[in-house]
Amino acid sequence: MNYRRAANLDEATALLAQYPEAQLLCGSTDAALQLRHAPQTTVLIDIHTLEELRGISVEGDYMRIGALVTLNELLRSDVVRASLPLLAACTETFGSHQIRNLATVGGNIANASPAADLTAALVALEATVTLTSQDGERSVPLETLFCGYRCTKLDHELITAVTVPLQTGSWYYRKAGTRERLNIAKVSIALTHGHGGFRISGASLGPNPVRFRTLEALLDGGVYDDAAIKAALESDTDPSGGFRSTQAYRLRVAFNMIKEALSQPEER
Amino acid sequence: MQITCTINGRTHRFDCAPESRVLDLVREAGMTSVKAGCGEGECGACSLFVNGRLVNACLLLAPQIQDAEVVTLEGLQEETAAIRESFAEHGAVQCGFCTPGFVLRAYDYLSHGGERSEEAIKAALDGNLCRCTGYRKIVEAIVKVKS
Repeated sequence: MNYRRAANLDEATALLAQYPEAQLLCGSTDAALQLRHAPQTTVLIDIHTLEELRGISVEGDYMRIGALVTLNELLRSDVVRASLPLLAACTETFGSHQIRNLATVGGNIANASPAADLTAALVALEATVTLTSQDGERSVPLETLFCGYRCTKLDHELITAVTVPLQTGSWYYRKAGTRERLNIAKVSIALTHGHGGFRISGASLGPNPVRFRTLEALLDGGVYDDAAIKAALESDTDPSGGFRSTQAYRLRVAFNMIKEALSQPEER
Repeated sequence: MQITCTINGRTHRFDCAPESRVLDLVREAGMTSVKAGCGEGECGACSLFVNGRLVNACLLLAPQIQDAEVVTLEGLQEETAAIRESFAEHGAVQCGFCTPGFVLRAYDYLSHGGERSEEAIKAALDGNLCRCTGYRKIVEAIVKVKS
């Protein structure tokens, strides 16, 4: 294994240009297992010490979260609790204390797992990601970053930050899995309801975090009928996306969660 | 590659592959309180401190401890004495395999001012598994650590 440690962001982008097939190393919670069981590469670019990718800040109506912010840093952040309560609720269900001390926001996104908790929550919050390469920076809606199971459209780029509009209105977050803690989602649902209408997403219901656009349109139109919600959910989800239980089970749980979200949302 | 770090205050040098697990390195260095359990971050038996943060050594690769300060239970004998006594008093030990991980998590939790309620302690132990005790006695032991 060829190992390179990037001393700064410029060096990281130069290394990525030189070794496009490289695996990035940040929190290492997923990379450590992948490298052990099914290595996809022979080059490891270590970015875990890049100070430029740390820090949480509020800029106007947005929160900027550095890619190397850990899950425990999110969990302990008063500004996250106050301004993005949905994200705080999601973080509480994420991994274990030891894993949250390592796992990073950027790593969770780049890993592109269908069951990624944080990513589904960030999609409902309409987050954008900042991608940096030797050619400069671009921002894309997080939802558009994925291209299938564990696949992203990152092109010689690394994720440097996530930008999230501060939350307004009501919200809901819930995850179902086999363990109460240290859970991997069989289904999770994140929902916000504000001036722009409903924003709903879920994990483990498709190869990537799914935004439920048919369901959003239905609810925005004031239709709360059970059969219509079920039909919308079915058309919004891709049965090939999950491995932790049957699609029928996951759809039923998702439906129950949506009903709960509509009857008992949390208020901001 | 060459990795240099301190483990329990002493400098260690490893000549290892970048994908080596920190778990294997510290055990080879003689710190056998760090147990190889699930190997996937689910059981917490390999918990240790890296620069003050409790992490799973099985999910940590060698480059992550370059220049770092690594502390295992061997290096915290005095600091964890009251916790270990409480575990013994309350019978919070059976086979003992998970115990170093639980003791370190309890130390981490209590030294950060963790609340002494059963509910909060149960939540704090989310990263540690025990296959013998049923957790009751472990939670009791942590509630009653003499400070």
